[in-house]
Amino acid sequence: MPVPRVTFTDDRLANGLRVIVAEDHLAPVVAVNIWYDVGSKHEVQGKTGFAHLFEHVMFQGSAHVAKGEHFALIQGAGGTANGTTWLDRTNYFEMMPSHQLELALWIEADRMGTLLEALSQETLDNQRAVVKNEKRWSYDNRPYGTWNEKLQAHLFPPTHPYHHPTIGSMEDLDAASLDDVRRFFQTYYAPNNAVLAVVGDCDDGQVRAWADRYFGAIPANPDIPPLGDLSLPPTLGAEVREVVHDRVPLPRVYVGYRAPVFGDPDLDALEIATQILAGGKGSRLHRRLVRDERIAQDVALFAYGFVGGASIAAGWATVRPGVPVERVEAAFHEELERIGQERVSDDELARAKALIETEELGALQRVDERADRLAMLATLFDDPDLINRMLARYLAVTADGVRDVSAAVLRPDNRVVLTYLPEEGEESATEGEEAASESEAAA
Amino acid sequence: MSGPSVVVADRPAPAIPRPYTFPAFARERLSNGLTCLLVDLPGRPLVSASLVMRRGAVDEAAGVGGATVLAARALSEGTERFGAVELVEAAERLGASLHADAGWDATTAGVEVPAARLGPALELLAELVRRPTFPAAEVERLRDERLNDILQARADPRRRAEEAFVETIYEPGVPYRRPAGGLPETVAGLDRDALAASYGAGIDPSLLTLVVGGDLAGMDVVGLAEPLFGDWAASPSAEASTEPRVAGAVSERFVRIIHRPGAVQTEIRIGHVGLPRRIDDFHAVVVMTTLLGGLFNSRLNSKLREEKGYTYGASASFDMRRGAGPFAARAAVNTEATAPAIVDTLAELTKVVEEPVADAELVAARDFLVGVFPLRFETPGPVVGSIAGLVVQGLPDDELQRYRPAVEAVGVDQVLAAARAHIHPERAAIVLVGDADVIAAPVEAAGVGPVVVDRSDVEGAVRTVEA
Repeated sequence: MPVPRVTFTDDRLANGLRVIVAEDHLAPVVAVNIWYDVGSKHEVQGKTGFAHLFEHVMFQGSAHVAKGEHFALIQGAGGTANGTTWLDRTNYFEMMPSHQLELALWIEADRMGTLLEALSQETLDNQRAVVKNEKRWSYDNRPYGTWNEKLQAHLFPPTHPYHHPTIGSMEDLDAASLDDVRRFFQTYYAPNNAVLAVVGDCDDGQVRAWADRYFGAIPANPDIPPLGDLSLPPTLGAEVREVVHDRVPLPRVYVGYRAPVFGDPDLDALEIATQILAGGKGSRLHRRLVRDERIAQDVALFAYGFVGGASIAAGWATVRPGVPVERVEAAFHEELERIGQERVSDDELARAKALIETEELGALQRVDERADRLAMLATLFDDPDLINRMLARYLAVTADGVRDVSAAVLRPDNRVVLTYLPEEGEESATEGEEAASESEAAA
Repeated sequence: MSGPSVVVADRPAPAIPRPYTFPAFARERLSNGLTCLLVDLPGRPLVSASLVMRRGAVDEAAGVGGATVLAARALSEGTERFGAVELVEAAERLGASLHADAGWDATTAGVEVPAARLGPALELLAELVRRPTFPAAEVERLRDERLNDILQARADPRRRAEEAFVETIYEPGVPYRRPAGGLPETVAGLDRDALAASYGAGIDPSLLTLVVGGDLAGMDVVGLAEPLFGDWAASPSAEASTEPRVAGAVSERFVRIIHRPGAVQTEIRIGHVGLPRRIDDFHAVVVMTTLLGGLFNSRLNSKLREEKGYTYGASASFDMRRGAGPFAARAAVNTEATAPAIVDTLAELTKVVEEPVADAELVAARDFLVGVFPLRFETPGPVVGSIAGLVVQGLPDDELQRYRPAVEAVGVDQVLAAARAHIHPERAAIVLVGDADVIAAPVEAAGVGPVVVDRSDVEGAVRTVEA
């Protein structure tokens, strides 16, 4: 089943803003997505969480947009908007009814050019408080909530900017000053550090004319400091283990590995391996641990692609009540070892590829997904046409390739194991059940 | 380096909107009366098909709470032709994703697949829904997974708050008082016979609907469906769906705190029994709720997040089911902000009931709902899902075509009337999951109602047995 080709144009304004446009008139909608080449990997110790806090500040108004007005304008126009920050990126996106495209471009330009006009201590303090609550809601007040932060900390040395989580620490967030914000904006929020993608019911010529009108006068920053060399040895060198006592009813084993960087075809093969291992009911880990042996409540394994030295492969197994944690961990590791020793079957490989193909078809039918991918591939690889070649890369993965990358990555001396256990003194699920039946008998 | 002169000051005006209407669907019937609703969406090669049974958790007998959801999940655990793994592998080979689930109002089974393979995918769907075997060992496993998931839910403050909230606002005996997936009291006793019986009660093909959406050009979907579904007979135990008895338990506002020692945030739920879907002032309620707690600049989010910084997000909504699901205002706030956040929320609920909204707010809500409408339906999945929703709620075929004009017609008076009729801050339950040792006193001092602290999560429902 062929996936439709994305046809796009790709050019830069004089100030370096890269503008990519793909027309699609099927639905009266258009997606705008702007990637700035800045993420939490640009943060240093003492200033973690900054890129994400800054993303929040970007919605607080600019020279011609009052606080609160950003969403009032976008939603009032029948649009949706958001932004995300992660290790390698900060992106801002809108989806608009197509007749409101110009507004979205105008508003992106206004904040790229003039955010500092509206920046105040009050809005910074307000969004700092919001971000701290985001941290609490997403991580601090959740069972197992610290897993990702711990995996990152163990997988990357303290000197590597992937060591700390994108959300940052409460102390560093508290320490962020207006001056920090100004300097961050002036350094990274420049047109020559950005890619603007517009996909949907639009006209290429009109989009470029608007891009020039609204963004054209914003000056470039010729002095964006390069990120240092983030390269790393491909493996950790030795297993790292940590036991975490948490308010959890069921133990859970998390694993993490250093994986090939995003863009390396070996990562494509590893993603197919994770699909075969944990991608749904027919997968090896689910069949063995959840269905057949009934030792796990659920399992997961997936890869996040990063460009700064290594990607992360991560997963977990939640232990069923009454089952020794060691048994679940051993079975999990056995399956990951097995896929690195024996070639996967032709059928398993074909099924994984068929699913990926359908997923691609589904993802690419949406204009917002297309816009995000074009901007991402331009930013990270200077190659937006990868959007049309990614599927072929997955389909070209061989059984040997799956085995070889699994053997190289999913190995004990490259893994972090976090074991989450109920807090000392807290009843585990099994004990609770037993005691309940005792008290019923006595009643 | 930058200044206002590097950008254009004038805000652009919108262009002429491109006309959009929710796609029309064709209504057909198979020879056994099963309804087929077909919506052709040119240019969308990934077809979505959904078989809808208007029978959900709300139709369960009291002793088998959770059977509907579990039965839906068990369909794919084995059919006459396939074991569970064989079935999923057969679907994967087609690049199809086959799924079944149930909620309060309905059970749905569906598949997404490239159009070229719709025939074989519908074959698998038919096998799934017509010939499930509910293998005992797999049912037992799913039941245990549900019991374990309940444990996980109780440890997660967000989910704990939802469970405590519905338990508080509904009278005992109302199905909505517990999660759709059931609680241990009833789930522990479910076996394959209970699931088969529960599922069988919903099998009357003359009451079922198959919704198919995507690029159907050149396809005879009814021709594909008739041999697969057309000879499906009603189960002898088929029952008509019922409308639930819904009664609220709270007549005067009070506070219930589920104690979670050391919690850095409090999960707040403020509300009461809400509304069913089929009400005369539905569009006024939607507009009112959007400006109260739906938009980013809603009253609640503006106040609690953008002004005070108490939360990452505050919202309010009516969960409109076949019966009256809950109305709730929701936010997770840092612990110290609990009492002020409650006070601010109650103030907003009171204000929307007592004062007409400003024109600008009304227009903002209406403009959003009308403008965003086409964006919701870009792909077949949401189109098929929304049509399925009309079937489940017994709404007319043109309901979605009428949506935007109906929203446009809502004025300040209708919003006020809807708020007065349906929002009752004076008898709201305030349910909190947080550190009672820190928040109980300030909440009491705020005077929002009597405070009850529930420490059973910490102290356990189990008493030590004296030897």
